[in-house]
Amino acid sequence: MSKTPNFTGWHAMILHRADTNTERLERQFGLLGIRATCQWAPLADWESADLVLVDADQGWDDLLPAKPDALGKPLVALLGSEAPGRIAWAMQQGASAIIPKPVAASAIYPALVMAVSIHEERRGVAERMQFLEERVRMRPLVHAAVEKLRAARGLDEEQAYAMLRECAMRRRLSTEQVSAIFLGGAEPWPEVG
Amino acid sequence: MGDALKIGILYSTTGPYGAMGVDARDGAMLAIEARIEDCARRTGRAIEPIFYDPHASLGAYLDGARHLLREGCRHIVGTITSAARKEVIPLVEKHDGLLWYMCPYEGFEANENVIYVGGCPNQHLIPAFEYLIPRFGARPYLTGANYVWGWEMNRLARELIANAGGEVLGERYLPLEETAVGRIIAEIEERRPSFVLNNLIGPSSYAFLEAMKTLGDHDPAFRPENCPVVSCDLMECELDLIADGSATGQLCAASYFDMLDTPDNSAFKARAAGRYGHERRISSVFASAYTAVDLCVGAILAAGSDEPQAVRREVHGREWPSLFGPLTVDSRTNHAALPFHLGRINADNGFDVIASRPALAADPYLTKRGTHMPARLRIVS
Repeated sequence: MSKTPNFTGWHAMILHRADTNTERLERQFGLLGIRATCQWAPLADWESADLVLVDADQGWDDLLPAKPDALGKPLVALLGSEAPGRIAWAMQQGASAIIPKPVAASAIYPALVMAVSIHEERRGVAERMQFLEERVRMRPLVHAAVEKLRAARGLDEEQAYAMLRECAMRRRLSTEQVSAIFLGGAEPWPEVG
Repeated sequence: MGDALKIGILYSTTGPYGAMGVDARDGAMLAIEARIEDCARRTGRAIEPIFYDPHASLGAYLDGARHLLREGCRHIVGTITSAARKEVIPLVEKHDGLLWYMCPYEGFEANENVIYVGGCPNQHLIPAFEYLIPRFGARPYLTGANYVWGWEMNRLARELIANAGGEVLGERYLPLEETAVGRIIAEIEERRPSFVLNNLIGPSSYAFLEAMKTLGDHDPAFRPENCPVVSCDLMECELDLIADGSATGQLCAASYFDMLDTPDNSAFKARAAGRYGHERRISSVFASAYTAVDLCVGAILAAGSDEPQAVRREVHGREWPSLFGPLTVDSRTNHAALPFHLGRINADNGFDVIASRPALAADPYLTKRGTHMPARLRIVS
């Protein structure tokens, strides 16, 4: 079941020259409970907004701050042009939805819902990727730990790995972490040795 | 005498919601007739309604809106379904006209060029659930027409039920005009919900209510007093299309019922009877179309012009006497605050009002209270 999105109390930065498009955005944001600030100057940092809308027709690279690890904030491109270069620019900045110009009231809410949910999904994927990269990086430790267990306990490779994995599960750690601790000899290992 | 003030009336009087279209057209007409003298006296202009009937063809709504705008109508009262409304809006926006929409709908819209006099879910579905859950339980069965009205109302119902700690026992859709309800009825019989939310429309809805009657006759657990069927769009004008007595005892949420016992309503019904005969029951679409047109013409007269921006300003700026009581329209959402009534169908094919709430401000995007029921109503059977 999808939950009704609620943006009440959010702050949106609109990086666009004030015009009828931004007027319409601000009106619609008002009734969604979103406070909006419109400026045609670079955004100092991602922290000042919950949501950013950027003029993708006129925008330049330094209009948006560099993306931190947390991927910035949900970004919506305001786009009138159909030029591939402009679409590419919007995507490079990380836009996850487009509101076409001239802005129609009915285009705003769907774009926000989509931008926010894609941003959350991207953040989830980035976190997962970081976790997996960490595990790949530590994979040689697992191999070393298996070898050490084999030698110490006279086990075959499969048995040694099963023992490590069992221990990891019991401690709710990854096999890589358990292997690191085991190899480091930081604490006694009732389960494995 | 100056040029006539032209008001476009865009309703389909045939097809699955034809009965509503007829009532809407007649309600609009009654309001125009009631304002003719007032308008002539104050502006020296006649009011000329211009009708267009799209005969339930979605594409024809756009032709209709184009025709009405070309004829010089800056105000169009019309459309029943959301699909038709969405079809017409871009053209109305382009010509900077105003669309007066007066049907209950699923919310999630607030257009500058539309005045909404029908209700959105915080004015019909949510108060209906707040009434039903403590009395019947939070394990409903959901059914609906296979398009956005049914889908979105049932999505919201699921959310309300989850937040109330209940469980949705089933959810099924039928295409418009489909009357094969056997599978839904069999599922309801097997799963034994605490109540049924009916978002079917027209003939599907009538067939469903008839089949629920048969089920209740066979097993008292499914009689309306034990497992009611509640709708948010069933009207007086439709009850005669349902087999005799089949729907008696079932419930419907609306901002208006013919049976409402107020002096304003008695006077209104007397006027309607003078025009359309005493047999005619006044439905909420009739009353809403009347209210929309009355508000539209009233605001035009107050503005001294039919220029939409000036009219909108007048609409927002005051409390309007109306059939629904003093009526206000929120300047941010363009939605009217509306009273809530829950009606129970009686043996005479009318609705007895069993619960009411004073005007509720519209919250089309559900930003205010969200979808959580007040704690005092969080009772789970």
